[in-house]
Amino acid sequence: MRPEVPVAAIAHQADKLLSPDWAKVVEITPEAEGIATYWLELEDESLRQRYRFAHGQFNMLYIPGYGEAAISISSDPEKPDRIGHTIRFVGNVTRAVSRLKVADQVGLRGPFGTAWPIEQYKGRDVVLSAGGIGLAPLRPVIYEIYNHREDYGKVVILYGARTPKDLLYVNEFPVWEEKDIELMVTVDRADQDWTGQVGVVPMLFYRARFDTNNTVVFSCGPEIMMRFVVFEGLARRIPPEHIYLSLERNMKCGQGMCGHCQMGPFFICKDGPVYCYEELEPYFHLEDL
Amino acid sequence: MDQEKELIECLQAIPWFQSISEKHFSMIASVAKIVTIDRGEWLFKQGDKQESLYVVIEGRVSVELYSSVRGYLRVFTAEPMDVVGFSSVTPVVRQRTASARAVLDSRLLALDSAGLNRLCEQDHELGYIVMRRLANVAASRVMICRLQLVDLFAHPTGEDENA
Repeated sequence: MRPEVPVAAIAHQADKLLSPDWAKVVEITPEAEGIATYWLELEDESLRQRYRFAHGQFNMLYIPGYGEAAISISSDPEKPDRIGHTIRFVGNVTRAVSRLKVADQVGLRGPFGTAWPIEQYKGRDVVLSAGGIGLAPLRPVIYEIYNHREDYGKVVILYGARTPKDLLYVNEFPVWEEKDIELMVTVDRADQDWTGQVGVVPMLFYRARFDTNNTVVFSCGPEIMMRFVVFEGLARRIPPEHIYLSLERNMKCGQGMCGHCQMGPFFICKDGPVYCYEELEPYFHLEDL
Repeated sequence: MDQEKELIECLQAIPWFQSISEKHFSMIASVAKIVTIDRGEWLFKQGDKQESLYVVIEGRVSVELYSSVRGYLRVFTAEPMDVVGFSSVTPVVRQRTASARAVLDSRLLALDSAGLNRLCEQDHELGYIVMRRLANVAASRVMICRLQLVDLFAHPTGEDENA
């Protein structure tokens, strides 16, 4: 069962769903080379008070003259007045974002998409499996667990990046671990200073210990990585209905109207980005989809 | 703790040996010993003669390849219960194909490769158990290498150019 999610709280009128509202950059947190978290506050106070989002949803960020990009919300849903977006600077829009400074304006539409159904899994073990910037859409789930730690069983984060310098939120790792959230980190390549693991995220499943009969897996990262995460999860007899993935496609309208983000019968921006593997399974392994 | 007791406890802690018969357990114990290495110390280096197969008990051991241009490249990290040097029990490989050193102070179970091979030849049931386990280790390492080769997190030029 999918959780109920806030739907484009900014624009209650249908004709406003495609027009952005303005937000101000209030803080910029550098996370890694070419990646930073932009903390935004909506300028309109009534909108700011009404704005809500769920774990795993995204906003469309707009820079005049450059266009829009779909960016996952990486902050705490319980603090919706300050919206965090962790952004990798890879294209025209995100490179324009990288030139923004505190107090600059950015257009914002959203929130859009489905959410991680974390609250349905209270009392269970939770495995969060993330690769690269895929940790960003999972961070709201970490906040939920952090804020309500007693509601969940064992919690394990399996996180991988290309190199130690590419790891996100490293300053928060000790805080998470203090709350009995087990963190297993690996990198693809490392120099001699790195005392952690070298390998890939699915490999961490060999080492993680959790109750497979009572576990939910949330995963976000490159699709190849998620294929192997699914493989490892199923191999440990975690049922497909307890595995959730967040997909990334070329999201444009956020309404399921333009078709840019279609995958099989789904429009990722509207039907996703978070899917239960059970519904995705017929399409997930198809090539060229 | 005396050495034999320590050895038995280590063997009992390894899932691989938890479901084997008492007879096979004793056979394995006859070719096993405990080794400890300090952080930064080499367990073996590429080109060394293959003498032992290791299972990490405590600590962390990195597997590294040497390139004359780039120096030592860390390709895998073995955690507790991981196997290091599995090719030492294959019939073809005679020399270490990679180097291994302790990233943290480490304690390992060392199985004499020649002795283990001999036992596997003598008792094919034990041989099947050992080789099945090693096939699993080899398969997982191949999978890991493939994913590393794919360079999952690289960002090809041109992708998401509009994002």
